[in-house]
Amino acid sequence: MEKKKKNTFKLILNTINNNIQLKIGLIFLAVLLFIAFFGPLFAPYNPYRLNDDLLMAPCKQYPLGTDSLGHDILSQILYGASTSLKIGFIAAMISAIIGVTLGGIAGFYGGWIDQLLNEVMNIFLMLPDFFLILMIIATFGSSMMNVMIVIGLTSWVGNARLMRAQAKAIKERTFIQSSFSMGESKSSILIHHVLPNGIFPIIANTTMNISGAILTEAGLSFLGLGDPNVVSWGQIITAGKAYLPKCWWICTFPGLMTIFTVLTFFLIGEGLNRVLSPKMDANK
Amino acid sequence: MYLLKAEVSQVRRFILRRLFSGTIVVLFSVLFNFVIIRLAPGDPTRLLAGKDNPSQEMMQALRAKYGLDKPILEQFWIYAKQLLHGDFGYSYVSTAKVWDLIKTRIGPTLMIAFTGAVIGLLIGTLLGIFAARKKGSKFDLFLCGISYFFDSTPSFWLGLMMILLFASILKWFPTYGMYSLRGNYTGIGKILDLLKHMFLPVTTLVLIDIPYYFRIARSSVLQTMSEDFIMTLRATGMSEKKIFNKYVMRNAIIPTVTVFGITLAYMITGVSMIEIVYAWPGMGRLMLDSITKRDYPTLSAIYLMLSISVAVMTVVVDIIYAWIDPRIRVE
Amino acid sequence: MSLLDIRNVSINYHTNDKTVYAVQDVSLTVEEEESVGIVGESGSGKSTLAMGILRLLPENIIETSGEALLNGEDIFSMDQERLQEVRWTQMSVVFQKAMNALSPVHRIGKQMEDIYRVHYPNETKEKITERIYSLLKLVNLSERVYMSYPHELSGGMMQRVAIALALIFEPKLLIMDEATTALDVVTQTQILNEIMNLEKNMKIARIMITHDMSVVASTCKKVVVMYAGRVMEEGRVMDVLVNPRHPYTKGLLNSFPSFTGEKTNLKGIEGNLPDMSIYPTGCVFADRCPFAKERCHKEIPQLKDYGDNWKVACFLKEEGGDINE
Repeated sequence: MEKKKKNTFKLILNTINNNIQLKIGLIFLAVLLFIAFFGPLFAPYNPYRLNDDLLMAPCKQYPLGTDSLGHDILSQILYGASTSLKIGFIAAMISAIIGVTLGGIAGFYGGWIDQLLNEVMNIFLMLPDFFLILMIIATFGSSMMNVMIVIGLTSWVGNARLMRAQAKAIKERTFIQSSFSMGESKSSILIHHVLPNGIFPIIANTTMNISGAILTEAGLSFLGLGDPNVVSWGQIITAGKAYLPKCWWICTFPGLMTIFTVLTFFLIGEGLNRVLSPKMDANK
Repeated sequence: MYLLKAEVSQVRRFILRRLFSGTIVVLFSVLFNFVIIRLAPGDPTRLLAGKDNPSQEMMQALRAKYGLDKPILEQFWIYAKQLLHGDFGYSYVSTAKVWDLIKTRIGPTLMIAFTGAVIGLLIGTLLGIFAARKKGSKFDLFLCGISYFFDSTPSFWLGLMMILLFASILKWFPTYGMYSLRGNYTGIGKILDLLKHMFLPVTTLVLIDIPYYFRIARSSVLQTMSEDFIMTLRATGMSEKKIFNKYVMRNAIIPTVTVFGITLAYMITGVSMIEIVYAWPGMGRLMLDSITKRDYPTLSAIYLMLSISVAVMTVVVDIIYAWIDPRIRVE
Repeated sequence: MSLLDIRNVSINYHTNDKTVYAVQDVSLTVEEEESVGIVGESGSGKSTLAMGILRLLPENIIETSGEALLNGEDIFSMDQERLQEVRWTQMSVVFQKAMNALSPVHRIGKQMEDIYRVHYPNETKEKITERIYSLLKLVNLSERVYMSYPHELSGGMMQRVAIALALIFEPKLLIMDEATTALDVVTQTQILNEIMNLEKNMKIARIMITHDMSVVASTCKKVVVMYAGRVMEEGRVMDVLVNPRHPYTKGLLNSFPSFTGEKTNLKGIEGNLPDMSIYPTGCVFADRCPFAKERCHKEIPQLKDYGDNWKVACFLKEEGGDINE
């Protein structure tokens, strides 16, 4: 047993080592999580504090400069990390839960339920989602909660389609067929066998969705629809827009952080996809 | 390419199905627009008026126009009828007809959106095919790395950085608006002025689009090259050149066509952020103004237009799809 | 002169950090109109051997040694131009996944036309179409197939298309790589019977690569048993399959329930394939062989002829023992 555990661990380590996207992505993720959890401890100022020095270029006192109200950019960026991650994670989780549930039901039960849900998915695919989100946020207010929920509610179709295909394929496998004949109920089979066996592609896709959600939040902030009660990178960029090109530091650094974060999850998602379909791998 | 008689009817059935879906999408959008105003916190009249304390007469006029005192079904009927007559209501901010506002903005938006999409498609696809053929080379790795980077970049931030680069350091291109305000150019001069102004927004859009097409072209070429039928063709002694030009390309181009169609459908959303950065007088700019001023009639009209164009484009893409990919017709 | 004469062929794969010895020192001959079955578990190197002979392996990561003489001409040392001439006119192949044997977005007839033009670029369209129609008829397909796309046909029909395609230039050698494995038993039997008729009329030799002993038993005259890249036993089907002399052959026969069609693990043979990236020091089968002795782990047994072209690579046999005792 002990040996087997060790082997599995070794296998995982090997997979990561041979997969450059996954490797870089996970290293980046570690850095990001560190910033999100411990960043505030290192922040030189309270991010909301209005310092007397306005629009200061990066210097010893303010390593990344200050904005037009005297906020220290570095402190804001450090605090903003958790905002981006929170929005990314929660929105992606919501979309994963909805997607897995609807996709699993559609693929597993088939018949008219499948047809109906499939049609719903097609329709959702045709909706201009960014604008849909924008309309809802503009109407219902731009709290972080709203942003997360709405992004989650509009981005589940990809997950649902993957899960549907998975459920359809798994349903035909022998061990599921034997569970049927042993009298296990449909819903129990769905929950205990189909979902756990089909979840892997969803994980990869959900990682990508985190990227998508973070970009969407940045876009909303840029349009002035960010939550005014939290610090977010998108909002720092928006605030700095008017002071370009002279005060270049305000926009530049939070933008780079956004890219870094989005890139991290893209890479992990790509890496996971590569593990899933080794056919596309190099050298083969 | 031609279709057999039986296939024509297959395609027709397929298209009818897609048209049906498209219609439902449009209906859904209309319903969504109708519902969201009424579900929103606060009095819909205030939302429609666009300010917190509209005058009594204005409230009265709005209630009468949208039948806000009447039962909900009747309200919907009134709303739908107005839409059918092309009446999107009046913008609170400029008191102009919403439709007139939108009309003047579509041209400039399509101008940069379409140019950007086509250039991005060409460059991205060519690079993707090239990278796939040289898979694993330094060139391929370099392009893949770059594409990840641009894929992770918010378009508006890229725009801001271009302004930084070109306005403060290089000073080659104007970073603001569509024409020089003090230029008063005519004829060729005016067109050149326009092209100069277009350069940065279009370049930004192209940079954002390239990785997209690059990765699709690259992965679908690689995918196709690993298919079993390539092995068959090789075994028959067919030359690699013929296999690639005729068989790989034809199979690999399908995803690109699909994605290009979808991009065209979404191009207004995609380009709006960039328009805002460069103060380009298009739909994006109008959208931002409507958001900051909470101009709901305008916002909802833009949304409706967008959904209709997305639905139409999706159906068009599907039709092209059915034509170039025989597999899709059957399901 | 044999139609195909494979001499001491070894094929190694080079991956990032290791070398896989997929085929080791294999020799065999195929005479004209002969039917040879190559059997073994997956990973035995049988497909690699076939793909190697066809030169379809990715040449940048493989290393081939030995010779494969087709009508006396070494395939491995042909230049690209000559290779393309020989392909399909002298030897053709039918793969396992017939559904994917042709491009999904081109009509079947058009693809066959293109393939015809590879070797006869100036033939008239009428002539080609006529040839293709006659081929389709030969494999019991209707002319309708010409205008169809691959996804519109069933697996069995596509397999027939692949066979028709393989016969288009009446090559002397046909290689079938698990070509009927994916089909149901009834279709498989039908198609195998058709193939045997066709090759009799067209005087074609066939190499049948399969893990299915019953297919070999019913369609081949000669059988080659491979394990971990090496030939274990070779001879006439009626000898080898009835009275195996190598412990592996025996295990393989025991493990195959011929009528239920259900695949179980090798009943007679415990253990797994050896790690093919380690060059063996002894018999590749020694670790799983119930008769293995010390010598089997230290020396590699050579394939020896015991009369009637019945060859075995086993020390037990060499030393006069018998696995049935």
